[in-house]
Amino acid sequence: MPNEQAAMPHRPDPAAAPAGPDAGTAPPGRPFSLIRQTAMQPEPSATQNPSPGPAAGRVPDENVPLQTESRPRPPAKLRVERLNFYYGGFHALHDIDLEIPERQVTAFIGPSGCGKSTLLRTFNRIYNLYPDQRATGRVLLDGRDILDRNQDLNHLRAKVGMVFQKPTPFPMSVYDNIAFGVRLYERLSRVEMHERVEWALRKAALWDEVKDKLHQTGTQLSGGQQQRLCIARSIAVKPEVLLLDEPASALDPISTMKIEELIDELKTDYTIVIVTHNMQQAARVSDYIAFLYLGKLVEFNETNIVFTAPAKKETEDYITGRYG
Amino acid sequence: MNRYLRRRIINYFNMGVSVLTTLFGLLWLVWLLWTLLAKGLAGIDWQVFTTITPPPGSSGGLANAIVGSLILTGAGVLIGTPIGILAGTYLNEFGRRSRVAPVIRFVNDILLSAPSIIIGVFVYEVVVRTMGHFSGFAGTLALALIVIPVVVRTTEDMLRLVPDSLREAAAALGAPQHRVITSVVYRAARAGILTGVMLALARISGETAPLLFTALNNQFWSTSLNQPMANLPVVIFQFAMSPYDDWQQLAWAGALLITFSILVLNIVARSLLRVRRPGQG
Repeated sequence: MPNEQAAMPHRPDPAAAPAGPDAGTAPPGRPFSLIRQTAMQPEPSATQNPSPGPAAGRVPDENVPLQTESRPRPPAKLRVERLNFYYGGFHALHDIDLEIPERQVTAFIGPSGCGKSTLLRTFNRIYNLYPDQRATGRVLLDGRDILDRNQDLNHLRAKVGMVFQKPTPFPMSVYDNIAFGVRLYERLSRVEMHERVEWALRKAALWDEVKDKLHQTGTQLSGGQQQRLCIARSIAVKPEVLLLDEPASALDPISTMKIEELIDELKTDYTIVIVTHNMQQAARVSDYIAFLYLGKLVEFNETNIVFTAPAKKETEDYITGRYG
Repeated sequence: MNRYLRRRIINYFNMGVSVLTTLFGLLWLVWLLWTLLAKGLAGIDWQVFTTITPPPGSSGGLANAIVGSLILTGAGVLIGTPIGILAGTYLNEFGRRSRVAPVIRFVNDILLSAPSIIIGVFVYEVVVRTMGHFSGFAGTLALALIVIPVVVRTTEDMLRLVPDSLREAAAALGAPQHRVITSVVYRAARAGILTGVMLALARISGETAPLLFTALNNQFWSTSLNQPMANLPVVIFQFAMSPYDDWQQLAWAGALLITFSILVLNIVARSLLRVRRPGQG
């Protein structure tokens, strides 16, 4: 890869920026738009089309109350169609249909065991490491079905990065932790690699804390630093999608705050999907919310709509703390 | 008698029994080491390391046996380790969904506890009889056969200690499985695998039976693997059984050498394992 990327990290061509008027830069309290989304999403090929029309995701429930008008939805980066997932004989996900908008933060919420992580783990097919887990249906990334048996898993995972619940620094230096993934797919000179490592660490708001210990083992960092190291490691390979599986659940409040700020910053470049148990966190960081319950997608909508006027009783019960 | 007093009495009783049994076990070890030191130290001098095993009645050392032992064990570990590590890797990393893996694991466990004399006789039958003479090769092979199951077992155990989350994290970056294993999993399990190799080395450096049937012994200086090769365990075996005082003295010295090198190997291996647990660097 050319080294200009180190200086200009936006991999997706800015010209192809998503359609929404406030895509990627939406302030926390976003303005209501008058456009109501009911149109079906055009064929996925349209996602590469920068046409500013109301490229909308499907609203799962057509009976959304009137006060919940939504903004034009950015084109879908990931499109899930009739996805079913099985752990051996256990049917964990039932007929999930969902669209993950590009360069937005989408949060999966729901009680433990509802399938949030399972759904996330289909997006980079990490479940394929385990022989008894399988998925049926389609998951389209930019229109291409990644569940296809011919899909190259390593390329997919280079494009769809993932950060896990528990920090997983590799038993090597901070520097090598980041360089490891980059070396898999790019041949960089020493200088370029150094730039890339610094860029990733800066992006993950970790550079100032570790710039003097780049050659210490990553395992010596604190928990919050380790998790930001893992995020840095994921973005160093310049993925298009970033999957975060409860990235802050093992961290203290300050580290959590740093990670949330980071998510907010990263969404200008990446499509982010985050699984979280923490309702406040979902409200703070996400633009869209998918509520899952017992392996089914109950509701998907803009975050403020889900939190102010949920369409389904289960959603309301969950976000008001009646179960979960 | 109130309950508290009863508990205290039972506690003291159990503690006393535990301490006594521990002391009983340690007694033999200390006694053994003491005897070795007392009798062996007297025979240790420069000559032991510089001159070869003497005929009865004349002075000599153990140089050929020491070098022979180093060659045999070194070559045995060198052959057995890669096979053992690869097999252990297969069992833990690739064999999870296979039906062959449990069978291999079972057979390996049998091999692990097989009496070493069986291995000696087996190699005698297969190699020594075919070649027509005892040889260092045969000895090396016999030792390698002892190394393999030990390394397979420890490699698999140590790899299993590496959390799957680390494999997932590496795979999630787009690393193909071989890179996940060589760059991340091995690194995490490095100390443990190395410990396994050292324990295997310690185990074979004292093995006598397999060498008795394979490398046998050599009164002369020979580093050719195609010839019978001198080695400490067999020299100790022969010299200790002999009626000659100077041979017996050399046997004590050899025994002391072996025991302490094994002791050192074990200590190093265990401290390695303690300092760096898998998954923690």
